[in-house]
Amino acid sequence: MERDIPTYSLLLLIVFVMIPFTIAYIYQLGLKKDIIWSTIRGTLQLLLIGLILTYLFDLSPLVGIPIMLSVMILVATFHARKKGKELPYIFITILVGLIGVEIIVLSMWLGFGMISFTPEEVIPMSGMVIGNSMVAMGLALERLKSEFEQKRGKLLAALSLGATPKHAAHMSIKKTLNAALIPNIDQLKTIGLVQLPGMMTGLILGGVAPIIAIKYQLVISISIFSSVSLSAIFISMVMYRFFFNKQMQLLNLQDIKKDG
Amino acid sequence: MSDAIFQFNQVNRLVLQNITFTLHEEDRLIIFGPSGAGKSTLLHLFNRMDDPEQGEVLFHNKRIEQYDIPQLRRSVGLVLQQPHLFPDTVLDNLKFGPSLFNDWEEGRAERLMEYVNLPIDYLDKSVEELSGGEKQRVSLARTLANKPDVLLLDEPTSALDDRNIEAIEEDLIRLIEHNHLTVVMVTHSMDQAKRIGTKGLYIEEGQVIEYGDINQLLENPNTDQLKQFLHKS
Repeated sequence: MERDIPTYSLLLLIVFVMIPFTIAYIYQLGLKKDIIWSTIRGTLQLLLIGLILTYLFDLSPLVGIPIMLSVMILVATFHARKKGKELPYIFITILVGLIGVEIIVLSMWLGFGMISFTPEEVIPMSGMVIGNSMVAMGLALERLKSEFEQKRGKLLAALSLGATPKHAAHMSIKKTLNAALIPNIDQLKTIGLVQLPGMMTGLILGGVAPIIAIKYQLVISISIFSSVSLSAIFISMVMYRFFFNKQMQLLNLQDIKKDG
Repeated sequence: MSDAIFQFNQVNRLVLQNITFTLHEEDRLIIFGPSGAGKSTLLHLFNRMDDPEQGEVLFHNKRIEQYDIPQLRRSVGLVLQQPHLFPDTVLDNLKFGPSLFNDWEEGRAERLMEYVNLPIDYLDKSVEELSGGEKQRVSLARTLANKPDVLLLDEPTSALDDRNIEAIEEDLIRLIEHNHLTVVMVTHSMDQAKRIGTKGLYIEEGQVIEYGDINQLLENPNTDQLKQFLHKS
C-alpha cells in the first residue's frame, strides 16, 4: 500500500510556518525574511530533487547512480572544505576521503546483500552516509585547528623533548577524534528511545512493517557510525602533518603554506 | 678550541643579525637584552626548534643539520617559560622523553624528584594538583629526564614569586654542577644572571653588543648600550 499526502493538505503547512513567522513579527526578531525565504527555498530544493530523483530512478542504475553519487560527493566536499581552507590539499583530501568511505560502505551493502543496486536504495542510503561523513570531517578539522592553537605550548614541549610530530600530535588527535565521534556514540546509545530515526519513520509511514524498517535502520545507523569514524580518523591523520615542517618544527596556522 | 660545544657563525634569523660566538663545555651563558631583541629566537636555534636563514650553527664542530633532530633535542634540552605539562601524572611527564628513546630505568624518577626537590610521593599526583612553582620543577625534571648535556632555559622563573625563584635557582645551580651541564639561559633578572651565569651575551635589536665573562659584563660594561641597559634594570 502506498500512502500519499493530498496536495491541498500540503498547502496547509503554511499554517505551521505562520507560527514562527508570527512570533518573529511580534517580538521583532528580524527573522521574517529568513523564515519566508528558507521555506520557499527548502520547498523548491525538495521539489527539484524530487524531479531529479524521478528522472534518475528511470535511468539505468549504472548511469543514474554514479551521476548522483558524484554530485553528492562534490557538493559535500565543497561544503566541508570551508572548515579547513587554511590547510593545503584540503579539497583533494576530503574528496578522496569521501570517495573511499562511499566505496567501502557500498561494497559492504552490496557484497553482503543488504541492499540491491537500485537508485531507490543506493542513493538515499549513500546520501546519509556522505552527509554525516561531511559533517564529521568538518568537525574534526575545526577541532584539530583549535587543538593546535590552544595546545601550542604542550606541542612545543613535546617536540623539544625529542618527540616526532606524530608523537607530539598524538594527544591533540585523540581529543579531535573524541570530539568528532562522541555525538555519534551518544546518538547510537539513545537510538529509538528519544526519537525514532528518520529513515525508520519514513519507511513505517510508507507502509513498511516496523521490523523491516528496523533492519534498514540498523544497516544505516551502523554504516553511518563506521563511516563517520573512518572520515574523522582519515582527515585528522592526513591533516595534522601540515602543522609541522620537515625540520619537526611547529608552524602557525597562518604560516601553513597554502598550496592545495 | 677543542672543547667548543656550540659555534654560531654569522647567523641571521628574523631580527637576529650576524650572530657569532662560541660556547664551550660547562659554560653557563646568559642571554640578555631588551624585550624583542631576539633572545628566545636565538635560544631556539640551539635545538632546532627554529633554523637560521643564513649562517651556520656548529654543534661539537659539526653542522647542526647533520644531527638527527629528536636525538639533538634529547641532548640539548629546553625548559620553556611556562611549564606546559602534559595532563597526566607527574611520573608520566617525567617518562615522556625517555620513553621515546626506550631509555628508562627503575629509580630514575625518584632521582629526578630529588634533583628538583619534590617529594617522591608526588610522582602519582596529577599535574593539575600542583602549584605554579611545583609545576616548573616538574617541567625542569622532565627535561632532565632525557639526560641532556646542554640545558636551554627560557626565563624559567619568570612566572614564579620571589620565594620560589630563589629555591629553584639553588636547585638549578646544584644540579648543573652535579651533572656538568652546559647552560644557555635567557633571563630578565641581572641578579639571576650573576648567580647562575659564567658568561654573558648582551643583544640589542638582534645584534650582539657584548659577549664575555658575565661579571665583567655586568660590572664593567664596555659599550654605552649595555651601560644604559644596566642602568635601567
